[in-house]
Amino acid sequence: MIYPYLLLSSIIIPFSVGVLFLILVKDMEALLARFLGIFGASFPFICAWVIYFNYDTNNLDAYNFELILPTGLESLGIYLHLGLNGLSLPLLLLATTVGLSAIIYTLFSKAIGNNIYVGLLFIMFSGLIGTFSSVDLFFFYFFHELALIPTFIIVMLWGGVDRHAIALEMTIYLTIGALLSLIGLISLYQTSGAEAFNMIELKMALASQPLSELFQTNIFALLFFGFGILVSLFPFHSWAPKGYYAAPTGVAMMHAGVLKKFGLYGLLQIAIPLLPLGASNWASWLLVLGLCNILLIGLVTLAQKDLKKMVGYSSIMHMGYAFIGLGTLSILGSGGVLILLVAHGLSVALLFLLSTCIYHRFKTFNMEKMGGLGVIAPNLSVLFGLSILASIGLPGFANFWGEFVIFTALAESDLTQGFLYLAVIGIIISAIYGLKAIALIVFGVPSEVLKEKFHNGSLRDMSYLEIFCSIILFASLLLYGIFPKVLSDPINESLSKYNAFISTSVESRLLNNLNLKLDTYNE
Amino acid sequence: MVLIGINEFIYVASILFLIGLLGVLLRRNTIVIFMSIELMLNAINLALVAFSRFNNSMDGSIFVFFIMTVAAAEVALGLAIIVMLYRQRQTILVNELKQLNG
Amino acid sequence: MDNQIMDLLFNLLGILFLPFFCSLIIVFSGQIRNTVAPFFSLLSGLGSLFLTFLLIKEFSEPIRFSWDWIALGVHKFYIGFFIDSVGLTMLAMIAIVAFAITIFSIAYMSKDDSKGRFFAGLSFFLFSMIGIIFADNLIMIFLFWELVGFSSYLLIGHYFRRDDAKDASQKAFIVNRVGDYGFLIGIILTYWHFGTTNLEALAILIGADVSLISSGIGFFLICGFIGKSAQFPLHVWLPDAMAGPTPVSALIHAATMVAAGIYLLIRVQFMLSFEVMSFISYLGTFVALFAGFCAFAQSDIKRVLAYSTLSQLGYMSAIFGLGFPGIALFHLITHAFFKALLFLGAGSVIHACHHEQCIFKMGGLLKRMPITSLTFIIGTLALCGVYGLSGFYSKDAILIGAHDANNLVFYGLVFAALLTSGYMGRLIWIVFFGSPNSQAAKNAKEVNIIMYLPLVVLSFFAIFVGFTNLWPAQLGATILFDLDYLHHLVNYKVLHNKVLILGSGAWILGLTMAFLFYGRGTKFDQLEKQLPHIYSLLKRRLWVDELYAVYLDKVQKPIAESFSFLDEMVLRGFIVRGCAGLIGIIGASLRLLQVGRLDNYVIWFFIGLIAFWLYGLNMF
Repeated sequence: MIYPYLLLSSIIIPFSVGVLFLILVKDMEALLARFLGIFGASFPFICAWVIYFNYDTNNLDAYNFELILPTGLESLGIYLHLGLNGLSLPLLLLATTVGLSAIIYTLFSKAIGNNIYVGLLFIMFSGLIGTFSSVDLFFFYFFHELALIPTFIIVMLWGGVDRHAIALEMTIYLTIGALLSLIGLISLYQTSGAEAFNMIELKMALASQPLSELFQTNIFALLFFGFGILVSLFPFHSWAPKGYYAAPTGVAMMHAGVLKKFGLYGLLQIAIPLLPLGASNWASWLLVLGLCNILLIGLVTLAQKDLKKMVGYSSIMHMGYAFIGLGTLSILGSGGVLILLVAHGLSVALLFLLSTCIYHRFKTFNMEKMGGLGVIAPNLSVLFGLSILASIGLPGFANFWGEFVIFTALAESDLTQGFLYLAVIGIIISAIYGLKAIALIVFGVPSEVLKEKFHNGSLRDMSYLEIFCSIILFASLLLYGIFPKVLSDPINESLSKYNAFISTSVESRLLNNLNLKLDTYNE
Repeated sequence: MVLIGINEFIYVASILFLIGLLGVLLRRNTIVIFMSIELMLNAINLALVAFSRFNNSMDGSIFVFFIMTVAAAEVALGLAIIVMLYRQRQTILVNELKQLNG
Repeated sequence: MDNQIMDLLFNLLGILFLPFFCSLIIVFSGQIRNTVAPFFSLLSGLGSLFLTFLLIKEFSEPIRFSWDWIALGVHKFYIGFFIDSVGLTMLAMIAIVAFAITIFSIAYMSKDDSKGRFFAGLSFFLFSMIGIIFADNLIMIFLFWELVGFSSYLLIGHYFRRDDAKDASQKAFIVNRVGDYGFLIGIILTYWHFGTTNLEALAILIGADVSLISSGIGFFLICGFIGKSAQFPLHVWLPDAMAGPTPVSALIHAATMVAAGIYLLIRVQFMLSFEVMSFISYLGTFVALFAGFCAFAQSDIKRVLAYSTLSQLGYMSAIFGLGFPGIALFHLITHAFFKALLFLGAGSVIHACHHEQCIFKMGGLLKRMPITSLTFIIGTLALCGVYGLSGFYSKDAILIGAHDANNLVFYGLVFAALLTSGYMGRLIWIVFFGSPNSQAAKNAKEVNIIMYLPLVVLSFFAIFVGFTNLWPAQLGATILFDLDYLHHLVNYKVLHNKVLILGSGAWILGLTMAFLFYGRGTKFDQLEKQLPHIYSLLKRRLWVDELYAVYLDKVQKPIAESFSFLDEMVLRGFIVRGCAGLIGIIGASLRLLQVGRLDNYVIWFFIGLIAFWLYGLNMF
């Protein structure tokens, strides 16, 4: 079996490329740097798709492509244990796609031609791939930190206005979040009596000896708030908009697009299946805080005049749907969350990329000072408009399926049905701010100065680089939107193995109805 | 003839220790503080010797020798430090030596 | 599957995806986009028309195909096609109207610098509209429903440099989203209530057990209709949507998309309880009257027609609510033809007058543009329900049906018919008679053949589409069913005569009144002069738009800004900075202890020693 090694090498290769970039800061030839960069960014992308096509949804084990390597920490139960299941596979695809786009853009855009920056991005990239392909919880956490720390450094060194204060704030928030979840994970490991610090062993140990309800509730609280801070759960979100505002494009894309999903992935992969009682005790909080994310932050997004801040806030808002989906504790809700994670990761990365493109044309992020992009840069305008519409859930893009499935899951039980009526208001709010942004940027007449610049060729419509980087993301959004089965088949396979979510009464009613329907068809 | 028991030894040692302690707490001059510390050490020595005598064991006396040796070394080092301090700061009063004020 | 079914499937997919691929080709054709766009649109229009006729010829019983699209747990959502005679009737209407409008657009948009975008949008619209027709479940309907909204947004915003297009496109999309809010909830509730959203399965389930019908779900579902068909109170977007190019108004905002709401109602009729049905019927009557009044005070030719569309949609929903979906569909079809004709006529007038849309600057166009004027007048007469034209048959059926079911609705609709002929008469007299009121109108010439040919074709349909006997047998089963029901009423003759007299009286009275008011042609509005208050009230559309503006400015914006303020100040500024400050204060106060004096430290050391000692003695 070559595939586990492909997985391993798609972690190692970006890492070594990143280290090469860091070591050979000055001496690297531009051509060599580009070649190395393209190789390091596209190799994991290709691997991910090869792995996807060889993923076996009929596998009876919890994980496919398992690979266990010794680390010298066996006495603590820590192995380098890689593997993929249906929940991590979509996120691996997301990570490699966004990473490819972000790194290629950074590598070729002249704004920052700094090898240290690119090297750090590569290390972040390998951390992202590692965290989603680790079965071992130590490495799950380790790779997350490997991706997180370069973020701070990059924001600190190459960020925008007020970068020191913002980088400090991000660091404090995210470190606290990560630490809380680490405490949760370690105490879970300690009390479960599992033989190794990985998800399979933990699951087995907990299946034979379930934890007490009180303990589950407490540990779930740690994981919930720890991971929640990482995903900008209301009211712990205030690092996000400023952080993304200050972060350079590549990092903003990688962080908002992929790294942020780590928290929700952790909740979905670890917290909810392992701590079902804790999850059901905290479910109402998931729902309430998620709703705050949608409605309150949605309204905050409405008031933004700055494009990049608006995108940042909108990403916080959309995370609310994910929390609500988790709060339903059902297969449907969790599946919707995963689809939404992938869709949102792609669309927010695309929006950050395009906002930078727009910034290069107008030299400002203030939307009220823009206007008339449609006249001067039609391709960029169309792509931007479509990405905004994708992010507000236009059918045909993956976001629609995520939101739709989550909304459907909300109506499953009478308890959560009330949240349906409130959460769906989100689609109106997001339509208002999305279209406002399009109206302010694309519509209208451009200023004379701008027109002049486009006439004499100092500014142009999208360059090939910009087109390439955004089309990768855009095409993926369309792919998952038109063929959601690409994502939903592996997700479904993995979720069906959890027995945490079966609410039998509703399921049986549904099945009865479906059978009735089939009977009547047959007659 | 009054018999001198263990209690009397401990009373004297305690008084000497308290005098030393108060000296450390209240005096400003580093040399006096230093002497007070010596006084406290000697109070302890006295108590240890007394215990040794009344328990018919040599342990306490052996310990006293160590303390005396260490105290001698300490005096040598401490006085040297105080001399150096005076050369640098022209004072050895602790209330004037507050560079560590946070 | 046997061959015939496969053929049908390919035929269906062809009809659906031909316009889609057409728009894709246009989008990817780069620099030559503007040149090739009309050509490809024409080709796809022809192809659709041909395939539709083929489908009608082959059609014998409802066709259905379905695949699962996304599956999670036991839940499966399907992509599926279903077409019966209702869908086929709609499809035929769309194919014909769309083809006529495509031809018209080629001439109308010939000078536009972004034809590519226009034709791509038009084709994409057709794709999504046909998707609604073909959908076999509510989720798929919703999906294409949103796509229709998107293409409408794109096309309304075609002249994106202009502020009115900017606001109107935004408004259309957002107001539709408000309707979709309810529609989406309705679909989700349907799914959990019945276990499926497949329309046929739903019909079977409800047929087996009528008590499954729930008014709540029904009310949510019709929100979608209220948004898309621009019924009160979500009607505000339709008049503004006239900022788009005129062919768009003809195709989307008169003939097809706004009628999709009615189509949806027909599809889900069995799920609507009696309360929901009567709500729809009263709402429709109200809109028919309300829009009729508003149309009197409009000076923009397209806005008059937009209000007329609203009013006719009100007719359809009123009769639908009384339990005659077939008649609603009948009126939908006839209305589509004559309203498309009217819009294209208006477009040709606007084109001839160099993009002048104010009717008071036109006048006397009958002599200058005879073909346009005659076809326009045919459309008007059909709209007013003049005996023998298509509008008469559907309106007649509506009025008979309404009389049979509900007197209040009946008299409301008769009065609305009077209003219709009143404002259309006003339009006709001002625009085509009298003398030219501006230089542009004076220089107006008849448009070229590419533009008036579609007018002629559509006016042919506007005259003859009412004769259901001429229709292919595969179409209109539902329509005929309802018409038959009316024909077999015991007092059909009496009713028919009564309606004939009332209806004809309404249009004669309306046109005459309009003639007396505006007959000699005028530069300004008589009504405005004589009844200024009522006029301004109508012109302002009964202040509904102002209400929305107040809501936006005084409610939504401050709320959004105050939340933003709270987020920025209270959460970020107060709580987060507060935590940081608290830690700072603790640090500063601890710092006071670091006096740097040895004796001080010794005292602390001593106190600590004593504390430990006491702790060791279990004192605390």
